Amino acid sequence: MSESHPAERGLYHRVVFKCDLTEARTATRSLRGFLAEQGLDESEQFNCELCLAEACNNAVQYAAKASVGRLLSAEAICHSAGIELRVSDHTAGFTLRKKRGIAPGRESGRGLFIIQSLMDEVRYFRSDDGNTLVMRTTRTHQQHRPADAAATASLDGARQQLESCQQAISGMARELCFRSESLAAIFRCCAELGRTSDLEGFGDRLMNDLLHLATADWFVLRMLPRGGTQLQVFATSSLTLFDDALPFAEDASASALPAELAAACTRKAVEFDAVRSTASYEPLRVAGATASGLVHPLVFGDKLLGTLAIGRRNSDTPFSALQAEMIRTFAEFMAVQIVNARHHEEQVHVRLVAHELEIAHRIQRALLPCTLPPLSGFRLAASWESARQVGGDFYDAFPLGEDGVLLVVADVMGKGVPAAIFATITRSLLRAMTVRSHHPARLLKRLNELLYTELSSVGMFITAQLVFVDLKRRTLVAASAGHCPVVIFSPDEVKTLSVTGTPLGILPHATYRQETATLGEPGGLLLYTDGLTESQTPSGEMFGHDRLVEWLRARVTQPLTAEAIRDELTAELNRFRGSAPLRDDQALLIMAEHPATLANPDPSGFRDADPLATASPDFAAASSVLSHVQT
Amino acid sequence: MKIEHDGNNLRISDIAELNAINASAFRDEVRAAMPASPNMIEIDLSQTRFVDSSGLGALFALYKAANNNGHDGVTLRLVNPRPSIQQLFELTQLHQLFEISRR
Repeated sequence: MSESHPAERGLYHRVVFKCDLTEARTATRSLRGFLAEQGLDESEQFNCELCLAEACNNAVQYAAKASVGRLLSAEAICHSAGIELRVSDHTAGFTLRKKRGIAPGRESGRGLFIIQSLMDEVRYFRSDDGNTLVMRTTRTHQQHRPADAAATASLDGARQQLESCQQAISGMARELCFRSESLAAIFRCCAELGRTSDLEGFGDRLMNDLLHLATADWFVLRMLPRGGTQLQVFATSSLTLFDDALPFAEDASASALPAELAAACTRKAVEFDAVRSTASYEPLRVAGATASGLVHPLVFGDKLLGTLAIGRRNSDTPFSALQAEMIRTFAEFMAVQIVNARHHEEQVHVRLVAHELEIAHRIQRALLPCTLPPLSGFRLAASWESARQVGGDFYDAFPLGEDGVLLVVADVMGKGVPAAIFATITRSLLRAMTVRSHHPARLLKRLNELLYTELSSVGMFITAQLVFVDLKRRTLVAASAGHCPVVIFSPDEVKTLSVTGTPLGILPHATYRQETATLGEPGGLLLYTDGLTESQTPSGEMFGHDRLVEWLRARVTQPLTAEAIRDELTAELNRFRGSAPLRDDQALLIMAEHPATLANPDPSGFRDADPLATASPDFAAASSVLSHVQT
Repeated sequence: MKIEHDGNNLRISDIAELNAINASAFRDEVRAAMPASPNMIEIDLSQTRFVDSSGLGALFALYKAANNNGHDGVTLRLVNPRPSIQQLFELTQLHQLFEISRR
């Protein structure tokens, strides 16, 4: 009778047998068979069988007479840690003592000696209804069943998987470290660039960081200046090695080109190997006879900005895929920063230019009188339009005594703030000087003497038309420094008064002529700057002096106010110009006689295209400073 | 079990087991077959798959019987015991009484 089932602690097999040696032997054999199935090896099986046999034999041989008919049991319990053997008996029981050695000849006790020698743990439990001998031994070997062979294999496989996982993880950690270092380098360099806007320093720092991260030995970063034809060294690891400028031609054939030019022409990364290169001229060979590396073009869109060449002194260890990718990333990033820096420069330049022009414009506007002085019997009207591009036209009218007025129209040839400043100075000087002299030619001469040095040192000059009008006598004296002629008009006739003279700032000791004329009846004068006559249609046709004269002839057939003439002339000029942009400042100053002139002249005799009229600076203060000027 | 005589030599073989069941019979049979002045007694254990303490006891009894005549120089040999049984002999010091040989 035997039963075998899994127990809490493991699998077990139990045999019940009669109190008989033969049956005992059968029982122990059966238990050995069970143990063999559990994967015990030969030696373990034998030892367990022997111990069971000794115990069972003892149980049979020493069974109490009254218990001979009773059944005995022997069982084996297998679990992963060990084996437990149990044999019950109905003997009188024995005393389990500590194992001690026995002489070979000693018969009794030999069985117990064997059990205690072969088993790790032996216990004997005695009771009135029977005793149980418990023997335990640890398993020394793993199971050897086919399924367990698979378990062994899977354990090895698991170990291998673990190892390869660990390798993959350390590879990933290395890569992560590498990438995070390169990102940190980029951030560091950008922060510095943001602070200093120093592109050269940025390029130098970024490329040196790349050199370090990619464990390279040399680099040379070349830039193609805007509109340039040479790839010039911008940053390098060694100035002594790479100091040439490489001429660059967009359409050069790529075969047998040195690596940097090949990369520049094809806009693709190129590998460089000093030993294998077939180019007859290869500047990168200075890096070493066995040097190798990569050249990356720096492009933005289809525009070539430069090249980055980076490499090692020998070709034994080419860049890894990760390092090559990092080089590409840094090259692309450098290209973006170059473009940014150029934009920034342009923006700054544009802003500076716009700002300067703004200042110049304000100065120009400030030059112009807010109000034109009242004249007895005559009115003044003026118009001024700025092209905002070129330097200052200005006009002015200084009343001189009761019946005189000095009319000025001038054009400072030059640009921006310097022109506007000269215009200011000229106006101030005139104001100071007219206090003492009503002589236009002398005024121009003196003006030229005062301004010649400064004007010629900056290569500027000024044209001016000065007309002194004696309103009582109805005469005018005009002098010109290379300026447009005065137009004298009346309903009867329109004539031009042209006086020659050199513009101020051309000759150090210029002298000027003046001419006299009389006003018509009713009288009218027009002074203007050449921006007016040079005004063009979209097709390029100029207004011209003749057309101006013709227009006046047609319009002033009847007396018109100075304002009316100005407005209509301005309208005519705008119509003529049409959609074409204003190319030059236009200024005009009109004096016209009108019988209905009011005692209080229109304070807004001045009108200009800019509705935001600014206050005129205090030229009186400037004039008083200049009042010491000798005429 | 096979018993062979060869003059004063005795050879026993084909022993399946030496256990509590047959140990006494084994001892008696061999003792009966023993020559008066045995020269060599050899027991072939190559087929013996199991020996317990009773079997050991029987072997020891044979040792005593062979040496009982006050006669020195009897060779008692156990031939080709299986490894587990060899270990058992060593454990119980029987290898000091019997010569253990391998052929």
